Amino acid sequence: MTAPVLRPRGAGRTPELRRARLPVFGKVFSESWRSLIGWSLGLTAAAALYLPLFPSMNQNSQMQDLIDSMPAELTRTLNYEQIGTGPGYAQATLFGLIGFVLLSIAAISWGASALGGDEESGQLELTLAHGVTRVQVALARFAAMAVKVLGLATLTCALVWLWNGPAQLEIDPYNLLGTGMLFGGLVLLTGSVALLCGALTGRRIWGIGGGAGVAVIGYTFNAIGNQNATMEWLHGLSPYYWAFGHNPLSSGANWGVAVLFLSISILLAGATAVALRQRDVGV
Amino acid sequence: MTHAGPAPRNGAPHASPHAIEVRDITKSFGSHLALQGVSFTIARGSVFGVIGPNGAGKTTLMRTLLDIIRATSGSATVLGTDSRNAGPELRHRIGYLPGDLILEGRISGRRLLRHYADISGPVREGRIEQLADRFKLDLDAPVRRLSKGNKQKLGVIQAFMHEPELLVLDEPTSGLDPLMQQEFLSLVQEASEAGQTVFLSSHVISEIQQAADEVAILRDGRIVTIASVNELRNTAIRHVRMSASGVGAAELTQVLAAVPGVGDLACTVDSAALATATATLSGAVRPFVQAIAALQVTDLVLEEPDLEESVLTLYSAPAASGVVPAGARS
Repeated sequence: MTAPVLRPRGAGRTPELRRARLPVFGKVFSESWRSLIGWSLGLTAAAALYLPLFPSMNQNSQMQDLIDSMPAELTRTLNYEQIGTGPGYAQATLFGLIGFVLLSIAAISWGASALGGDEESGQLELTLAHGVTRVQVALARFAAMAVKVLGLATLTCALVWLWNGPAQLEIDPYNLLGTGMLFGGLVLLTGSVALLCGALTGRRIWGIGGGAGVAVIGYTFNAIGNQNATMEWLHGLSPYYWAFGHNPLSSGANWGVAVLFLSISILLAGATAVALRQRDVGV
Repeated sequence: MTHAGPAPRNGAPHASPHAIEVRDITKSFGSHLALQGVSFTIARGSVFGVIGPNGAGKTTLMRTLLDIIRATSGSATVLGTDSRNAGPELRHRIGYLPGDLILEGRISGRRLLRHYADISGPVREGRIEQLADRFKLDLDAPVRRLSKGNKQKLGVIQAFMHEPELLVLDEPTSGLDPLMQQEFLSLVQEASEAGQTVFLSSHVISEIQQAADEVAILRDGRIVTIASVNELRNTAIRHVRMSASGVGAAELTQVLAAVPGVGDLACTVDSAALATATATLSGAVRPFVQAIAALQVTDLVLEEPDLEESVLTLYSAPAASGVVPAGARS
């Protein structure tokens, strides 16, 4: 959190450097810890609603019959093809659907308001008039968003691990870790796009549009690509497919993709810093 | 103020006698020219005001000096540093109050100020509380619950608290009640005495006439004139309305028309034989007061000099006003 404030002049060897970096990062948390708790509770509730249902689904052939009777296109769209196994169920319901939706909304709203919303409200102008650089502000706010997103992704993994025994999911912990990385990386990518779009335009709504675009298009391209071989090329354009297309919770995660997500997010953060540096703020 | 005048923190001596030197700054937003060839200098330790109607370019000018926006052409030197792409070292030495101050959030004023202290220059222990006491501001209330005036006080405090060499204050008295405006003006006075330079804006001359040594009038993105407050007041137009009994309209007209600076004179007499005159008055007030002293005055309203009209006056006849035209002092 924020460093101690009132220092006598000249105290410390590089007081200005210290003052300039951590406070911007820390202030994000002092402002948004309530929202972080809210999202954590929502995620916990979602896990508690979905995961315990698996044993009854698994033992009750009616549920499997129901899914079998659904049109193949629908089950493919919902990624329910693997739903008969514990890992497939947890991936389809939590990581691939409700958790994805919740975390994406959280990341998009954090990303869009971090710079775009802050500029729109007029507060960024005052921050930038102090002894910070725009690059510092952009990177500190990206870092704060990344910590929050990865924290929620970690919580998601912890919740799955918690329910792994009681809900008879039989998930391999290594695969869970890998899936968590892909999940967090995918959401971070979405939030980073929201951050960049907000920084480019100075408007929160464009940040939301950009981030939601990546999330929705990724999900949609994955669903369409699932339908038939002629549309499979859309998978290549879907970050959602990169993350979940190969059923990481069942068959193991591709760590390269997780690294790719993180790399793209860091590149987007760099682009955000450059974009903010070039612009007139608050006009 | 017990603290000695601010020392330059980056080690640069007071090489230039000017705190701010603006050279031919133009700023366009699309086809709209917000600033057109603005040039002026502000001496170190002085209080310089810029007045002008809304949309004249005051805020754009101040934001340019803070590098929040970048000029299309021209340049500005602030405390000896080129303002464009200036690093945090320069902004540590500046206190800035934005014109559209928006403060939100659940955090208390105290925590918000501590955050700004974190990213400003060092703040002396107790300085924040001392300023809050002067402005009678409750630092523990959540920022979003504060009234506009109290938010403005927070804005003033964050600009002054690190005792910067230069204060750039956009409409600083906006939202402050008259008592607090006085407190603010004395704070500006103290800052000036301590060697700090103050650059402030207003759309009402009355708000800054006490504080400012010099005033620039900005209109449609151009500096119309730069003058001392006294020079400006002498050229400004006031609206006058007065009533007197025991005098006819013709006589009243005769008395008032003889006063230097009176214009647009109109006199009427109502059913109660009360003569009422309205007029404009430019220049000194004394001849007018002396002229009406002999009348049985029942009512007198002498308005503050009207900024907009004085701007128009100066704009149409700068040479005749005795005021130094823009550019002549650079």
